Amino acid sequence: MAEDQKKRVLLVEDAGLVRMYYREALQGAGFDVDEALNGIEALEKLLTAPVDLLIVDVNMPQMDGLTFIRTLRRQTPAIASIPVLITSTESSPQDIHAARIAGANFYLTKPVGQEQLVLHARILSGCVA
Amino acid sequence: MPADVPPVTGEEFRVLCEFLYRRTGMVFTEAKRYYVQRRVTERLQATGFTSYAHYFARLRADSGDEIEQLINAFTVNETYFYREEHQLRCLTSDLLRERIRTKPRGRPIRIWSVPCSTGEEPYSIAIWLLENWPEVDAYDIDIVGSDIDTQVLDAARAGVFGKRALMHLPPRLVNQYLEPLDGEQWRIVEDLRQSVSFSTVNLVEMAETRAHGRFDVIFCRNVLIYFDDASRRLAAENLYENLEPGGFICLGHAESMSRISPLFDVCRYADAIVYQRPMEGARG
Repeated sequence: MAEDQKKRVLLVEDAGLVRMYYREALQGAGFDVDEALNGIEALEKLLTAPVDLLIVDVNMPQMDGLTFIRTLRRQTPAIASIPVLITSTESSPQDIHAARIAGANFYLTKPVGQEQLVLHARILSGCVA
Repeated sequence: MPADVPPVTGEEFRVLCEFLYRRTGMVFTEAKRYYVQRRVTERLQATGFTSYAHYFARLRADSGDEIEQLINAFTVNETYFYREEHQLRCLTSDLLRERIRTKPRGRPIRIWSVPCSTGEEPYSIAIWLLENWPEVDAYDIDIVGSDIDTQVLDAARAGVFGKRALMHLPPRLVNQYLEPLDGEQWRIVEDLRQSVSFSTVNLVEMAETRAHGRFDVIFCRNVLIYFDDASRRLAAENLYENLEPGGFICLGHAESMSRISPLFDVCRYADAIVYQRPMEGARG
């Protein structure tokens, strides 16, 4: 990705090792990566700097992923329209359905390989191949 | 040796070794006399005592943190990143695979590095998992480093290392997981520092080991060799209690649990020999 076309991703994930694992893959693929440890921190970051894609974990302290997405979708259009990729260890149809209802665009069940993550991040952020 | 601190007499040496044994389980024989003398001399100089009798009286009174300082002086802290890499390979190729096969959903993977010295081993485990375990995002991973020496634990938390500690870590990983402070030192990046927790533990004190809960894998390398048979067995029994049923313990390459305790099963994998706490009900 050229410097001026770099897509910005906000990684919303409470586990430090997972943030490092995803960040390494995304930065290696040319994304600009910012991070938040929970939904509240993510909302605060979005108010100052909107992004092209949100990658969101479900189980997080203070504000979980689904509550965050529901809150996100009620914000101003510039923020509410940001695509959301969920990454979660939960894999039941009910969990995936609940994420869709909350407003997630896509759902990946962990473990998510680094290549798989980058592929979906590219598609959802509207990267030019 | 400085002139103001006389050499220890036979009786003083015996008292000191007895004290260290009771406190730590470490055994020092006559062959280690110089080693013991050098360290206790340092402590006398640091505290201003010129007689062993007075110094021992202070130890017995347990005033201040001198017992802790003395124990710190006697622990060995030589280690480096990716030491005994074959065990790390075994961790991701066999041990974790085995553990998650029977682990209930939502339960964390817990790994204990004990003694962890200045943190090279627990940070190595974290880096190794990030680089070599594709399921690293699918589990809450709890890496704990523990040591009896409080000074090395402070250093471990700070996460600052020199060239020597990093000599076996490929440069790509040094750049990725550490930030340069100057030409000689690097610091573990914050996310990685936050991903490892550190605590004090004495392996022969059951109350202290129990407080750490149960782990899936324990790395306990090159410490039991400093214990005598009785302390070694006690430490092994404590470590057994710290393992989940089916959990594994990795010792140093020259150590064998079979000589210490019959509680564990020996497991031979392609990269390492490790010891396993049998699953519940597997033994009569």
